[in-house]
Amino acid sequence: MNSNSNNNSQYHLIDIFVKKVLAHLDEQDPNKLMNFLQLFQSSKNMPPSPTVSKVVYNSMPFADPSIFLTMWSQQVVQTQHIISALDFHVIPTGASNTIICNVNCKVRFDESGRDKMGQDSVIPMGPSGAKRMNNNRPLWGSYFGVSLQLCLDDRIFRNDINGVITSLNYKIVYKPEDSLIKIN
Amino acid sequence: MMMAHNVNNINTMAQQQMNDNRVRVSVRGWQKGTVQDLLNFVSKNTRISIQDANVEGPLLIGYVNTRDDANRLLKWNGARFAGSSLKFEILDQGGSTSNTVVFLRSCLFKRYDAQNKMLNLSALHSDPELVSKGLFSSLSTQSKLFAAMLKLASKEPQLIVESVNLSDNQFKDVTAVTTLAQTFPKLKNLCLANNQISKFRSLEIWKNKFRELRELLMTNNPIVNENLYRTEMIRLFPKLVILDNVVVRDTAKLDSIYNLPVKIQQFFFESNDLGPSSTDFVTNFLNVWDGDRSQLLGLYTPQSQFSISVDSTIPPTTVRDADTAPSFGHYLSQSRNICKLSSDKSIKQRLAMGPEAINELFKTIPKTKHHLQDRAHDYSMEALAFPALNGFVITLHGFFEETGKPESDKKGNQTNSKHRRYNHGHSAPSSFKLGTKSFDRTWIIIPMNNTVIVASDMLTIRAYSCGAWIPDEQITPPVNSNVGQTPPPVNNGQPPVISSVNATPLGVHHMPQQPQQPIQLAPTLQLPPDVQMNMNNIQLELLNKLHLETKLNAEYTYMLAEQSGWNYENAVKSFQSSVNNIPREAFVPF
Repeated sequence: MNSNSNNNSQYHLIDIFVKKVLAHLDEQDPNKLMNFLQLFQSSKNMPPSPTVSKVVYNSMPFADPSIFLTMWSQQVVQTQHIISALDFHVIPTGASNTIICNVNCKVRFDESGRDKMGQDSVIPMGPSGAKRMNNNRPLWGSYFGVSLQLCLDDRIFRNDINGVITSLNYKIVYKPEDSLIKIN
Repeated sequence: MMMAHNVNNINTMAQQQMNDNRVRVSVRGWQKGTVQDLLNFVSKNTRISIQDANVEGPLLIGYVNTRDDANRLLKWNGARFAGSSLKFEILDQGGSTSNTVVFLRSCLFKRYDAQNKMLNLSALHSDPELVSKGLFSSLSTQSKLFAAMLKLASKEPQLIVESVNLSDNQFKDVTAVTTLAQTFPKLKNLCLANNQISKFRSLEIWKNKFRELRELLMTNNPIVNENLYRTEMIRLFPKLVILDNVVVRDTAKLDSIYNLPVKIQQFFFESNDLGPSSTDFVTNFLNVWDGDRSQLLGLYTPQSQFSISVDSTIPPTTVRDADTAPSFGHYLSQSRNICKLSSDKSIKQRLAMGPEAINELFKTIPKTKHHLQDRAHDYSMEALAFPALNGFVITLHGFFEETGKPESDKKGNQTNSKHRRYNHGHSAPSSFKLGTKSFDRTWIIIPMNNTVIVASDMLTIRAYSCGAWIPDEQITPPVNSNVGQTPPPVNNGQPPVISSVNATPLGVHHMPQQPQQPIQLAPTLQLPPDVQMNMNNIQLELLNKLHLETKLNAEYTYMLAEQSGWNYENAVKSFQSSVNNIPREAFVPF
């Protein structure tokens, strides 16, 4: 298997993989967290793992991908990512190759005031006042711009996605002033 | 726009502007000293200078620069000078229309409480001064009056307003004050008590407007008796916490929903030594890139890869300084954006490997100027170790100016004939217009024999926008680039050599200095006026930066700065080493 040649299926696989990562970020159900964690080398899913994947979010490093993913699923409202640019290089690094992906996307947040579990901050008023509208449709705000770098193991070309992300660097590069979401 | 070319014009305009803002003041009870003694006394004690002074009877009459100065001067009433007490007064100028403006302006300032950042516009109809001027003869004048006052308020940057009181104004709806949302979009507290507002529909106009409104007071309006009153107010104001003195939202939950758990930072370096070396690398690299790109080719090996990709997304118009009509004509034919390409052949062709191919690609994109040194705030960087090759991944986000057309076209065509080739109706010559672009660039570099090798270099070009990491108080206007008309001369001097020792690192060590402009301090940094007056801009800027970095309150920030000899780096170091011993009350509640 020659993973060094730039063939059609490579572009395709990278494209699909990056979109899969973005879809994981947009996942609303915290129970599906393990599916995402599986893509990283983490002390949580590979106990004797010699190295853990690096995650840097808005210039904040995380000691373990599982910490980042837990934070993401519990403390960040629902998101919607749309990819707008993708480029990658396959770097020969000895035994296996490393793929570096440079991704640009836009992201918007659910500004309805509810978290991923559908809970809001409104204090219920009286015993009957607690009733809320059961409409959990997200209210999408304006788009933020994101620059994302992914380092991947070239095992993804051999249909192995377990722990292939060696580093993920996510940075918001522009922000709309009319968003309710504050990033600084 | 053309006026900007004439520096004298700007000076004249600035002078004019200053004269327009000047406020006429008088001083009484100074006669036991000379005029010069009095002026010296005032300037020494109040730090306000009275200019163009003339003696008129018992009064000394002159001008101060701003209304603020004039108001501050009033606080010195009763000051002892040469054995008697002084009396300062503000004199209104003559003139008819401007007279009304001056009058309204003075009303506005009288009703502004700087301490509490509150503008009190309650019960205007019973304000004796306004009534005596006949400004309440009819309902339409009342309406105009509010509009005029809000308009005036929006022109006064020194009016920092977090709270507005509009109680007792006989409002039936908010039509008279709709523009409040434009004047103070970040208003935190609003009082509309004791009016006659009865319909939700009248407030609907403010939906999605006051996004920071925390407290609303509507008591004594018919609307509060409506069944859906609470629900509707909660819906209209997404961050409302207190409605008519009752808590309606859980602040902690509200904050966790609308604030990302991680605050965005400008820099991340995986290890301490990575900071200076990666800033050195990008600074030197981009200096040479802006000068003569071919001099960079020594850094690329036959295996090195370089490619460009265009992100043609238009940022929302609500992104600060966003370019909503960017032109990518010079980049599109080289763009290796895999999302947009369907042909495998072009994906393959647009990857440049080895110095020769990379050089060809370098030549196809416009000449540039980056501003890492003079606008360090506009750049953000992350650097991570890349153990597989004993190297580093460095990613830089920022902007550049396009200063000249590309050296050559990739296909070897003349730049002119290119237009014909790609001009299928949608690709007009305007898409080749030069301007300012934002970019994200990622290098994988491997240190080797006192220099580095670039294994991979990926550049994303996108429409210009203000960086998300820049805190509001540090935003500077975008570079005004009319480069299309007058390309500035390309630097022909010897470009600096990569890894040179005397390179100026950017960012963390760099102190931007703009001594001409007054320093905008963070609102949480509240220095006593007498302390602030005795400090220069560089000191103020250092305090501000230190305050933002440490979140220490004004007193502790000042102590830290003083103990560290006003050296930012020393101050940050000593803060970091003693952070665990600093008392809780030393920090501002953010």
